[in-house]
Amino acid sequence: MTRRSRLLLGAFPLVFLLALLVAPALRLLQEGGQLSLWEPWQDPYLRWRMGWTLGQAAATSVAALVLGLPVAWVLARWEFAGRAFILRILMLPFVVPTLVAAMGVLALWGPQGVWVSLGGSHLQGSPWLLLYGNLFFNLCLVVRAAVDALGQVSAARVAAARTLGATPWRAFWRVEWPAIAPWLMSAMCLVFLYCFSGFGLALILGGQEYATVEVEIYTLVAHELQLAQAGVLALWMLGLTALVALAYAVLERGLATPVRADPLPRRRPHGIGQWVALAAVMAVVGLFCFAPLLAIGWRAAAAGGAAWAVLLEADTLRAVWNTARFSVLALALATVLGVAHALAARQSLWMRTLVFLPFVVSPVAVAFGLLLLYPHWTASFGLLVAAYALLAYPFIAKSMAAALDSMPPNLAQAARSLGATPWRTFWRVTLPLLRPALRRGMAFAAATAVGEFAVTLFLSRPEWATLTTLIYERLGRPGVANRDAALVLACLLMVLALLAFMLIERPAAASGAHRGAGRAHGPLPAAELLHA
Amino acid sequence: MNHKLLSFASALLLSAVLQPLTASATDLRVLTHGAFAVPKPLLTQFEAETGVTLRITKTGDAGEMLNKLILTKAEPVADVVFGIDNTLVGKAMAAQVLDAYKGPAATRVSKAALPGAVVPVDYGYVSINYDKAWFVKNKLALPKTLEDLTQARYAKLLAVQNPATSSTGNAFMLATIGAMGEEKAFGWWARMRSNGLKVAKGWSEAYYTEFSQNGGGYPLVISYATSPAAELFYSKGKFTEPPTGSLVLPGAVFRQVEGVALVKGGGNRAAAEKFIEFMRSPAVQQGLQTEMWMYPAEAGVAHAPALQVAPEPTVFDSPAAQDIANKGAGWVARWIKVVLK
Repeated sequence: MTRRSRLLLGAFPLVFLLALLVAPALRLLQEGGQLSLWEPWQDPYLRWRMGWTLGQAAATSVAALVLGLPVAWVLARWEFAGRAFILRILMLPFVVPTLVAAMGVLALWGPQGVWVSLGGSHLQGSPWLLLYGNLFFNLCLVVRAAVDALGQVSAARVAAARTLGATPWRAFWRVEWPAIAPWLMSAMCLVFLYCFSGFGLALILGGQEYATVEVEIYTLVAHELQLAQAGVLALWMLGLTALVALAYAVLERGLATPVRADPLPRRRPHGIGQWVALAAVMAVVGLFCFAPLLAIGWRAAAAGGAAWAVLLEADTLRAVWNTARFSVLALALATVLGVAHALAARQSLWMRTLVFLPFVVSPVAVAFGLLLLYPHWTASFGLLVAAYALLAYPFIAKSMAAALDSMPPNLAQAARSLGATPWRTFWRVTLPLLRPALRRGMAFAAATAVGEFAVTLFLSRPEWATLTTLIYERLGRPGVANRDAALVLACLLMVLALLAFMLIERPAAASGAHRGAGRAHGPLPAAELLHA
Repeated sequence: MNHKLLSFASALLLSAVLQPLTASATDLRVLTHGAFAVPKPLLTQFEAETGVTLRITKTGDAGEMLNKLILTKAEPVADVVFGIDNTLVGKAMAAQVLDAYKGPAATRVSKAALPGAVVPVDYGYVSINYDKAWFVKNKLALPKTLEDLTQARYAKLLAVQNPATSSTGNAFMLATIGAMGEEKAFGWWARMRSNGLKVAKGWSEAYYTEFSQNGGGYPLVISYATSPAAELFYSKGKFTEPPTGSLVLPGAVFRQVEGVALVKGGGNRAAAEKFIEFMRSPAVQQGLQTEMWMYPAEAGVAHAPALQVAPEPTVFDSPAAQDIANKGAGWVARWIKVVLK
C-alpha cells in the first residue's frame, strides 16, 4: 500500500476521532477553566482511588490470562460437541446490562443466593466478588483472542518440535507461546483498559467503596459540574493509560511476525486425563461466564407465564426493532472505521496507540462535550449511532491489526506480480485472509453496540428506546412484576445477541469444521484466490 | 475504491435517517429525567389537539438533567423541562436557565408549592422502606428513631444512595440535615458509617441489588412512601398487602416536589405553555400517579385507588430552600468525606 493511500485511509478514522472525541473532551476541559495538575495526588482519597483502579485492572488482566489461556487452548485444539456454541456464549456477558448481571451474580453468591443455601457464606462486598465480576465481563476477551492466535500457530513447527523429542509442554512454551504472545498481550491490554476505565459490575457488587476513578469523573461532571477537577483526573487517566497503550503498541510491532498458515487440525480428546482436563475447563467457563447468565434465565423462567407476556407488548417489539436498527447502523460504521484504521496503522506506531483512545477517554466527558459542541445535534439519531460506533470500532481495528501483522506478505505480492491492482489485491487476497479476524471484531463490536454504555450516557428519546433502555426503565420502579419483566427482557436480549453472533460468524465456523482451526486459511496460491 | 464506496454509502444512509428527524417549527422539545412517564394516549391526544409534535428527550437523573441544561445555556437543548424539584430549583434559579410562567397552572392553588419559576406537577416522600418478612423472620423490632439505627442491633441493615449521584439519596440527606441541623446530622452519618451503612450509586442499584426484598442483604433501603403501594400494584395478585412498608421516622422523611418550567432561550413558547397546562390537567394528574408513583399537585384531583394503601406522611423535614441552594453542594462534599473517604 502506498503512503498516499494510507494517509487517505487514516484520515477517515482520525477525522472521526477528532470530531466525536477529542474536540468534545477539549471543549469540556476549556469550560472547566484553571487546572491544578498535581491535586489528585495530594488528596489521599483520590490517591487510593487511583491506586485501587490500577490494582484491580492489573489483577483482572493477569487472572483473565491465567484462567483464559487453558480454556482457549482446549477450545482451539480439541473438537467436541458444543464447541462453537461456547465460543459465542462467552460473549454474552458483554450484552447483558450491568444491573441485570449483578442480579444474576447475586442470585448465586449474594446473601440469599444459591451458594448460601448450600451452606457457604455470602460474598457480597468482598474483593473476590469484584474480581469475579470483572472476569465475568472480560474473560471472553482473552479466550477469543487466544483461540484465534492458537489457530495461527504453524502445525509444521509444532510437529518438528515434537519429532525432535520435545514434550507437549515444552513444545507449547517454545513454539506455541511465542506465536500467540502478541495476541494475548493485545487481549490483556484490552482487559486492563476496560477494567481501568470501567464503570460497571464491580462497582455495583462492591458498593461505593470500590468505585473507580471513572466513577469519580462521572460524579464530578454529571452531578457536581466540577469540570476543572474532573478534567485533571481525566488527563491523569489518559496519561496513565496512554503509557500502557504505547507500551503495548511497541510490543505488538516488535512481536509481529507473519505466520505460515498451516493450522493444527482439531482432534477429539482421548484418554481419561484429557477428558478430565476438558471437564475442568468447562467448569471454569461455567463458573465464571455461564452461571450468572443461567441464574438470570432461571429466575426469568421461574417468574411464570404472566411475566413472559411482556415479550408481546408493543414497547418490546419497538425496542427490538430499535436495537436491531442501532446495532446494524453502528456496526456498518464501525466496520468501515475499524478496517480503515487497522490498514492505516500497519506501519505507524502512533496510529496503533490511537486505537485505544475511545476506551480511555472518559465517556461522560465525551457525552457532555458533545452536548456543548453540537447542541443542535444532541438527541439526533446520527449522533447516537456515531457515538455507538465510536465505542465499538476499536474492537474491529484491534482484531484486524493483529491479523494484518500475522499475514504472510508473499500472497499479496504474488497477486501484484500477476498484475492485480492494489485495490483488487486488497479485495481479492488481503480481505479474504482477514475475514475471520474481521468477523470476530465485528461480533465484539455488535455486542458492544447492543450493550448499555451509550444508553445511559447520551440523550435518548422514548421512541428510540432499545431493549437495554427498557430493562433499565423497568428496574427504575419497585415491584416484582417490573423485576421479572426486566429479567425476561434480558433473556430476550441474550437470545437475540446470540442469533446476531451466529449470523456474523456463521461462515467462519462452517469453514472451520473442514479446515482444522479454520481461523487461518491454508496456503492457497494467490492466483487461485484471484480467480475464486 | 471499495472503502470509499462503503463510507460514502454509510454517510448516505446516515443522512437519510437523519432527514426526517431535524427540528421543525411545530416541534416542542421537552427535556425530562429518566423516570418521566405519562400515559401514552394522553401524549398522543395532546399532539392531536394542539398540532404540536412532542420531542421528548430523557436524560439520567434529575441532577444530571439540570447540569446539562446549565451547560447548554447559550444554546438550549430544550424548550420546556420537567423534573426540576425542590432540591434543585435553587440551583436552577441561580444559574438563570428558566423563565417564569404566569398562566393559570402557575397561579392555581397546588397541594405542594415550589419556589421560583417551576410549576409544581407532583410530589412524593422519600423515606426508609423495610422488608416486612425479614423483620418477622429475624424477630427484630422496627427502629423508631434515626438514633436506633446507629445501635449494634441495627448494624448493617440500611442501604442508602450516594447523594452525589442520586436525587433520592440527596433528598434523604437533606431530611437528616433539616431535622438535626448540619453538625448533628453529620455526626449521625459518621456513626452510621461505623455501624455498617451501605452506599449504592442510585435507586435501582440500592433497591434491586442491596434490598433484601430483591435478594440483597439489607432489609432497610431509602425509597419512597409510595413504593409499598407499587409493590402491591406490580405483584399481580401475588400479595394482598404490600410485602414492604414505609417507615415514618422523625428526620428521615423528605417531601420531594417536582414540576415543569419554561427553558430560558427555548423556542416555541406558545406550545411550551400549553404543555405546562397539560401537565396540570386532570387527566395527566390522574394518569401520572401509577406511572411515576407520585401524588398529584392539582388540588381537586383524587388519589388513584392503588395509592390508597400508601398514606401520606404528615411529618417531613427539609432545610430552608435558600440553604439548599447555597450549601447543597458543600453538604454533598461533606457527606462524601464523612461517609466514603
